Amino acid sequence: MSHLSEEQLDRIIAEERLREQAPLNDWRTIAARAREEGLIRESQSSRWWASSQPWLRSAAAVLLLVGGIAIGRATIALPSAVQSTASKSTPAANANFASVDDASAALNRAVDDYQRASEFLAVNNASTGSRDSLTMYTKRAAALDKIENATVSALQTAPHDPVINQYYLATMGARVATQQQLVARPVGLRGF
Amino acid sequence: MPFDQLDLKRAIDGDERAMQRLWSQHAPHIDAVVRRLCDDAELAADISQEVWMQIFRALPSYRGDSQFGTWAHRIAVNRTLNALRKIRRIAKLEVDIEDDSAMTETDTDRTFVAESIQQAMSKLSPGARAVFVLHDIEGYTHGEIGEELGITSGGSKSQLFKARAKLRKLLAHLVDESPTVVVKGKAHVAPV
Repeated sequence: MSHLSEEQLDRIIAEERLREQAPLNDWRTIAARAREEGLIRESQSSRWWASSQPWLRSAAAVLLLVGGIAIGRATIALPSAVQSTASKSTPAANANFASVDDASAALNRAVDDYQRASEFLAVNNASTGSRDSLTMYTKRAAALDKIENATVSALQTAPHDPVINQYYLATMGARVATQQQLVARPVGLRGF
Repeated sequence: MPFDQLDLKRAIDGDERAMQRLWSQHAPHIDAVVRRLCDDAELAADISQEVWMQIFRALPSYRGDSQFGTWAHRIAVNRTLNALRKIRRIAKLEVDIEDDSAMTETDTDRTFVAESIQQAMSKLSPGARAVFVLHDIEGYTHGEIGEELGITSGGSKSQLFKARAKLRKLLAHLVDESPTVVVKGKAHVAPV
C-alpha cells in the first residue's frame, strides 16, 4: 500500500486551508435566532423614528423641509411662484400649534408643498444643465452621503441628542435638495 | 466591505445589516473550522448557529486587541469543542487506526481533493481530528491545542503524528487517480 509523502500531504492540507466553503446556515436562520434572543433590534432608521417623541419627529420633518427648500433656493434661481408658495407654507413660520394633530396637519400640507415645489423645480430648472454645476452637485451629493453615514452612526451613540439630530436632519435636507438638482424628476421625501 | 469599527458599534447596538455584514465576511472561515471539527454536517450547522449566537452575545466584550476574525475564530473553536464534549464525541482522544467506518455518499459539487480530505478526516478519531484540524489547518501550536483539549503538548504531538500517518495512507490514491475517472457515489478514500 502506497503512502503520500509528508510534503504531498502538506500540499493537500495547504489547498484545504485555502478552500472557500459556503456558510453552514443562511443568514435568515442566524437572524431569526438573534432576533429571538433580542440581539437584533429594529433597523436604525425605524428604531430612531419609532423612539422619537412626536415633537421630535415633527421638528425633524420641518427641518428637512426647510433645509431642502433653503438649499434649493441657495443653489438655483427659484421661480417666484414657487418661492411664494414655499414662503407661505413653511411651517417654521407657524410654530405655535394647538395640538399634535394640528402640527401633523401642518406637516402634511408642508410635505405636499415640498413635493409640488420639487416637481416644479425638476421640470423648470434649467440651470442644472451645465457641466460645472453637475460636477459640483455630484461632489456635494457624495460628500453628503458621507456626512449622512457619519451622523447615522453618531445617532446610535446618542439617539436623542438634539445637536446630532439637527446635523442629521440638515444633512438629509441638503441631500434631498442636491439630488433634486442632479435628477430631472420629482424628489420624494426619502427617509420618511 | 471591510468590517470596521463603525460596523462593529452598529452590530453591538443590534443593527441587523451590520451583523449580517460581519457574518458574511467571516462565516466562510468560521463555519469551515466548525465543519472540520465535526464529521456530521447537520451537527456542524447546529453548532455553527450556537457559535454565531455566542459571537454576537460577546461582541460588547471585543476590545480590539486582536483581529476580529481571530477573536471570533477562538470562540468558534471553544464553542465547537465544548459542544462535541457535551455529546461525548471527544471523550476518547486515542487514535483508532483500525476504524474503517463506511463512507458517506458524496456531494457532486465538491472538488475531488476537498471531498477526499473531508472523508479521510472523518475516519480519524475525534481527538486526532481536532488536533489535526487545529494544528495543520488552523495553525494552533501544540501548547494552544493542549489548553483547548485538556491534553499535554506531547499528547498533541503524538495525536498529530498518528493523524498524519493515517491521512497519508488514506489519501495515497490522490497521487495516482485522476478526478475525472471518479464516478458519483464512489468512495474516494483508499482502504487502509
